[in-house]
Amino acid sequence: MRRTFSILLSNPLSVIGLILVGTVVFSALFADFIAPFPSHRGAVVDFSNFNQPPHWPNIFGTDLVGRDVFSRILYAYRISLMLGVVVLAIAVPIGVTVGLAAGYLGGWADFILMRLTDVFLSIPPLVLAMSVMGVLEPTLTNGMLAVTTMWWPWYARLVYNVTRSEAQEGYVLAAEIIGASRWHIMFREILPNCVPSIVTKMTLDLGFVILIASSLSFLGLGVQAPTPDLGSMVAEGGNYLPDSWWLTVFPSLAILIAVFGFNLLGDALRQILGSDQ
Amino acid sequence: MSDYLLDIRDLKLAFKNYAGLVEVLHGISLNIRRGEKVALVGESGSGKSVTARIILGLLQELSSARISGSVHFEGQDLEALALRTRLALRGTKISMIFQDPTSSLNPVYTIGVQFNEVLKRGNPGILERDAGTRAVSLLQDVSIPEPERVLASYPFQLSGGMNQRVMIAMALANEPSLLIADEPGTALDVTVQAQTLHLMRDLVERRGTSVLFISHNLGVVREFADRVYVIYKGRLVEHGETSELFHRPRHPYTRALMAAVPRITGGGIPEIAENSSGFTEPLIDHEVSP
Repeated sequence: MRRTFSILLSNPLSVIGLILVGTVVFSALFADFIAPFPSHRGAVVDFSNFNQPPHWPNIFGTDLVGRDVFSRILYAYRISLMLGVVVLAIAVPIGVTVGLAAGYLGGWADFILMRLTDVFLSIPPLVLAMSVMGVLEPTLTNGMLAVTTMWWPWYARLVYNVTRSEAQEGYVLAAEIIGASRWHIMFREILPNCVPSIVTKMTLDLGFVILIASSLSFLGLGVQAPTPDLGSMVAEGGNYLPDSWWLTVFPSLAILIAVFGFNLLGDALRQILGSDQ
Repeated sequence: MSDYLLDIRDLKLAFKNYAGLVEVLHGISLNIRRGEKVALVGESGSGKSVTARIILGLLQELSSARISGSVHFEGQDLEALALRTRLALRGTKISMIFQDPTSSLNPVYTIGVQFNEVLKRGNPGILERDAGTRAVSLLQDVSIPEPERVLASYPFQLSGGMNQRVMIAMALANEPSLLIADEPGTALDVTVQAQTLHLMRDLVERRGTSVLFISHNLGVVREFADRVYVIYKGRLVEHGETSELFHRPRHPYTRALMAAVPRITGGGIPEIAENSSGFTEPLIDHEVSP
């Protein structure tokens, strides 16, 4: 653990990643204390101070109904991160179980599970999410559901590949010979060896889930007003470019920072965990 | 029959694939008495390892394997045993050591954790603390200095020789009556291999464990085994007491196998015919027709 941190800190890019991710997580967790106008995350109207460029105390300016853009971005981070965590918390266990079962059991289980995974992978992700949102109501819960359905197959495929190669190792045969159950071999012997790959992918994916969720709400299919969301803020502000540039630029930068941060951190983890093997 | 710990009779194995049946074992019969060390010698692909897997019941699970003949262990027909009973034998009455000790241990767990699981297999109710002390004493048996440090280490932190000793200690932890050693230490260098073999021989002799020693290394077999079976292309070609067989090899294949060992005194790599009609001559059994 200590070694992991020292390697992380020796690479400037991963330090930047760590700082960006730290900032995002910190602002999401403590939005209530950092935000200058916590009430502005809801349906607040202040026409005396609307559509103002950045000035004190509205450092990122105000939107069309006079709400503080900075405060709204902090709360939007909270929603984005929660969405990312929930999506991965559902998608990863499903994908990992499918991948382990297909990779270790082989035969018909392999054939059926991996072809099913291929079917899911063959549908363009945004189209699948849009159709789920279109059929169901466009709410946050359905948004998570939609993103989850398109996310688990990637984990199934990743874990499947690692499992196939780990299953050749002597310790799996040794476990079979002393009579360990399939369950034990899959989850206690092989899974811990897949963890580095899974953790790396999860870190990278947090950024992408945030991006996809923003894309959905940009298209009007994600989080609904008045809940602040980075994607819908960009979409609304887009109508008023270039005059009210702060409405679009700051939420866009916020998305950039989050995705960029998780990507750098994920890459750093990949290097560290990769060099262990 | 009951004086044999393991008695294999006319064992045949074939794999079914798209092209039809591929025969791997053409009816082999071998037996091991209690406390006896028996070697099965042959070249790569001769059917040594599949024989071990059949004894363990691993191939029986494969739908493409066609097996006939009988395997009796401690007087019981393994085929007739319920699956649950057969599974219970693995890791308790029968255990196994592999070629590459380092890959046989899971890299994400410490030796201690893995030792604990092996001991739990033999005695599910064992206390954590008792398992710890037992593991330490077992590691001392295989001459490992500082067993506590080894138990706290991960397999990749130890040398190949150390891992091999750990494997031997684990394999003997539940006092099995049969130990199958599949080319043990082939992945190690020769001096380490010699040390661990000495150790293993002492241990099994002290405990009266029977050993099925699978190898292609004739030198090692000669030092280790009481009796030798020579296998060639799925058929046993010669069988006898180790000294008898090494002094008077009678089967053309056994002779070729012995001639194939390069001498340390030089003379070049021996020329061996790839295929000779004599290799397929029937079994010569020194014990039946001296």
